[in-house]
Amino acid sequence: MIAASLAVLAGLLVAVLVAGLVLRPRGASTLEFYLAGRRVGVVTNACAICGDYFSAASFLGVAAAVYVSGLDGVWYATGFAAGFVPVLLFVAAPLRRFGEFSIPDFLGRRLGSEGVRLAAVTVVQLVILSYLVPQAVGSGLTWELLVGEGVAGLSPYATGVVVSTVAIAALVVVGGMRGTTWTQAVQFLLLLAVFIWLAIVVLGSGFSYPDAVARLTENPLTNPAEVNGNWQLEVEENRLDSGEPAFFGHPGGRYGPLGQITLVVTLVLGTAGLPHVMNRYFTSPTGTAARMTTVWVLGFAGVFYALAVLLGTAARSLVSEAVADRPWLADLTVDGVLRVPEHAPLVLGRIYGGEAGLAVVAIGALVAVLSTIAGLLLASAASWGHDVYERHINPGASQRQAVWAGRSAVLVVAALSATLALLLRPQTLTALFPSIVATMVTWAFALAGSALAPVFVLAIWWRRTTAPGAVAGMVTGALTAIGLVALAPSVGDRGIGEILLAPTIVAAPLATVVTVLVSLRTTPPADVERLWLKLHGTAADRRAVRLARLTIAGVDGKKR
Amino acid sequence: MASSGADTPWTDPDEGDRRVPDVGDEYDMPADVDAAFRTVRRVAVGHFVVFLGVVVAVPILTLTVDWWSEGRLIGGMTPSFVMAAVGLYVFFFLIAAGAATLSNAVEDRMLGSPEQEPPDRDGAEP
Repeated sequence: MIAASLAVLAGLLVAVLVAGLVLRPRGASTLEFYLAGRRVGVVTNACAICGDYFSAASFLGVAAAVYVSGLDGVWYATGFAAGFVPVLLFVAAPLRRFGEFSIPDFLGRRLGSEGVRLAAVTVVQLVILSYLVPQAVGSGLTWELLVGEGVAGLSPYATGVVVSTVAIAALVVVGGMRGTTWTQAVQFLLLLAVFIWLAIVVLGSGFSYPDAVARLTENPLTNPAEVNGNWQLEVEENRLDSGEPAFFGHPGGRYGPLGQITLVVTLVLGTAGLPHVMNRYFTSPTGTAARMTTVWVLGFAGVFYALAVLLGTAARSLVSEAVADRPWLADLTVDGVLRVPEHAPLVLGRIYGGEAGLAVVAIGALVAVLSTIAGLLLASAASWGHDVYERHINPGASQRQAVWAGRSAVLVVAALSATLALLLRPQTLTALFPSIVATMVTWAFALAGSALAPVFVLAIWWRRTTAPGAVAGMVTGALTAIGLVALAPSVGDRGIGEILLAPTIVAAPLATVVTVLVSLRTTPPADVERLWLKLHGTAADRRAVRLARLTIAGVDGKKR
Repeated sequence: MASSGADTPWTDPDEGDRRVPDVGDEYDMPADVDAAFRTVRRVAVGHFVVFLGVVVAVPILTLTVDWWSEGRLIGGMTPSFVMAAVGLYVFFFLIAAGAATLSNAVEDRMLGSPEQEPPDRDGAEP
């Protein structure tokens, strides 16, 4: 098992590095390094966005949430997918048409202010770090599960963190956005293939999805809990009906009356502020292509999350039936229920594919982590390299110097996230795995949705938005989100605690009001009408289309 | 209609006074952009209201209509489960495809003059 897993992992990492090398940027240009020359096609970009966006939280976390909470667990997936609808409606096309390098670059140029740029850099880096560290933790834990052995005296966990961080940092440094785009696109297709394979073998074994939901809903929902040092099944309380038990197919297993809405608002608005996802829109050739890319993303996301929900349900139904014939499940379960819900897809893989099946699913989890780390590192590099180094540290930098500044930023941020992941090492796998990964990713969404998304949307759709208004809005949104999340542990996860854990529903409207009020009292950029033409006009799109036609006509002419 | 050719071509504000390479004399008139902006904004807001209504309706139906959480729609699945597990993803895709198609059509009609397009125009992206 270890030898086979190591061989597959080594093959995967080598393939990623070779792809980065082959697809490395052409020439030392920041446009090539950060944006792949703005020539990424619609479907390729959609696959790359999915590779960027579907982290371990999506690959393992959604099935785990369904496994542990039933219907209420589905809302994580709903929020993740729903986030792209507002992106399509309000952000994708104008963002690409304005055509900058990063979120801070867009805000800085749109509002004509270096103060806005630096405030946005600060928020963007906080979001990236909140997202990056749990991915590194996830890679360490996946290595621990998959390989179980360390290298060069390191623990298995530390080996996973170091190997994945070094490999992906190398890919991003060498391959830039072009190499990263293609590897992320392939990695997403790999993730989807793993889910499709699992769904086919599960359904092929005679599993009936509707019947399973009905059967699981007949009895109260129970999950393992450690009581006085002993593991036992505890009935989940219905959060909508206090004192009553929760059921798999009914609401109330995870959220009270406010919980679903606060979570979905946080995930929906957070998506529009995620730097690694938004940066990908700058790589589209036109605004229309960026818009259509989002339609494809929503199609892919729907298939991916629907399969994740099916697999979570299947695991809940099938694992308990498989315990009797498979002694290895005894250590992982309590009376037929998994202690760590994130194991659900992995265990399904082993039940239906043996050791090879487990390796396939575990490698899928690692791939999910790696592709997200790549996108985050690139977004961080664009922010440090383009917005800080080129603008403030060395404004006269040559293209070569600017690209190397971006590469250096990748290495520094990768080292920082790996260090934090090693310091945050959970003492026991079972105790903290779900909480660290899921909680920190939710913080990232909350911060992005509270501080960046409102300012972002206003800057695109409201001419009167000003630089002081944007800075005030970002600061208000960020401080409110951080403050409410910090308060959450003292309040608990019921009632008002549901808002504190997913605070965007409060912080984003507050940031919007502050941005509007301050903007109305200050002066917008003098050339706002000219900026408006760039944001909402399609001349550049038509020019790109015409240029492409002329190029194609030239190629055809040569052939003839 | 845009691109009459009588006004100053579009310039990139970040490039100072340097004119953007002008392939095919494509540029937009401010009045046309403003009209298209308002129409696309109406499309976006309209679709967003429908999106928000449906997303919020699911938990509200859960709290108010017993059949939504207790009834049977497909085998043993409740309407609430079917909607959350599959229906909403289909809805998101359809509303996104509809909004994108409509927005693209609005921009095509309101910006850029069709008479300047080459005769073999097929609307394909580069």
